[in-house]
Amino acid sequence: MLNIFIMGILVSVAVRHAYAHFRPQQHEEAEKPHSHVQPQSAHLPPAVKERLLQASQSHFQAVLNRSAAELQQDLKSTAFHLNKQLEKLGTDIISDEMKRYHASLDQLRKQTETTMFSAQAEIAVHQTEIKAKLAKRQAELEAQMVQDIATEKQLLIKNIDTKLADAVASFLTETLQHNVDLGAQTAYLTSVLEEHKAEIIKGVNDEV
Amino acid sequence: MKFRLPDSIASPQDLNALLIEIQQYAKWFEHESIKKQINAKHPSESPTLSPSALEILRSHEANKALDQSSLESIIDTLEKYKKTSPSITVTLAAPPTGTVKNTLVAWCRKNIAPDVLVAFQFNATLLGGIVVRYGSHIFDLSFRRQILAARERFPEVLRNV
Repeated sequence: MLNIFIMGILVSVAVRHAYAHFRPQQHEEAEKPHSHVQPQSAHLPPAVKERLLQASQSHFQAVLNRSAAELQQDLKSTAFHLNKQLEKLGTDIISDEMKRYHASLDQLRKQTETTMFSAQAEIAVHQTEIKAKLAKRQAELEAQMVQDIATEKQLLIKNIDTKLADAVASFLTETLQHNVDLGAQTAYLTSVLEEHKAEIIKGVNDEV
Repeated sequence: MKFRLPDSIASPQDLNALLIEIQQYAKWFEHESIKKQINAKHPSESPTLSPSALEILRSHEANKALDQSSLESIIDTLEKYKKTSPSITVTLAAPPTGTVKNTLVAWCRKNIAPDVLVAFQFNATLLGGIVVRYGSHIFDLSFRRQILAARERFPEVLRNV
């Protein structure tokens, strides 16, 4: 930007200088012949004067054209150089900016890679911890489940056994109570009493 | 006076009935004694006595001739039995026959106490065996009790079949 600004200043200075250079010459040249012609014109015939005037005009026109052409050529050359300089300047600036941009990109990429590596390492550690915890928890749950299933199985077997025992006991009490023969049981009754004699005597004595 | 109760007199109800019989007999005996003293004719018939009452009177008569005082002594003894004898209740799976009753009473009087009174009940759900109750003590020796006590072994036995 600074270079463009300086170039602009140089161009404006050159234009002004060229303008100031050519304008005063035309004026002085227009005035000088006028001051010289004026006194001579009084002595010269109008035709000569006319021819001189035309000659000087054409001469002036030629000089003016040549100067304009040179100026145009200079301007072209200057513009070309300026363009070239501007192009070079722009290229340099862009190149510098690109280098800085690439450098910062590289730095950012390196930082990002470092961060990513550390993050990946942390994630890997975390994953390992989670997997270990998961495996431990799974083992605990499996052990608990096995134990629960065993407990439930034992409970069910116990319930079935209880119901079966109740059923058998009910069946026996229902079927056996209809045909009781005490005569056949007499010996058994005395033997049972003999077996529990001490217990019965103790109970009677305690009661007395 | 002390005598052994016959095994046929098992329960307090039996003892009560025996007591009433002896009292009635003693009353009749007293009346007859008075009639003899006044030489009254037309003696009345003696009250009918149960074999148990007759057994007691005969056993007493074997030692000494019956008189009013001996009858009163028998009544006093029976009253004493009624008040002091221990009483147990025996529950069986069916109404007991006389043989069963006598066997059990004899066993009780031999092993528990000579004057023990035994009341009999029956409960068909016992299936068999015997339940002896004395006061707050219950000795359940029934089949039902044994079946219920051993019911936890039924599944194991069935599994081994």
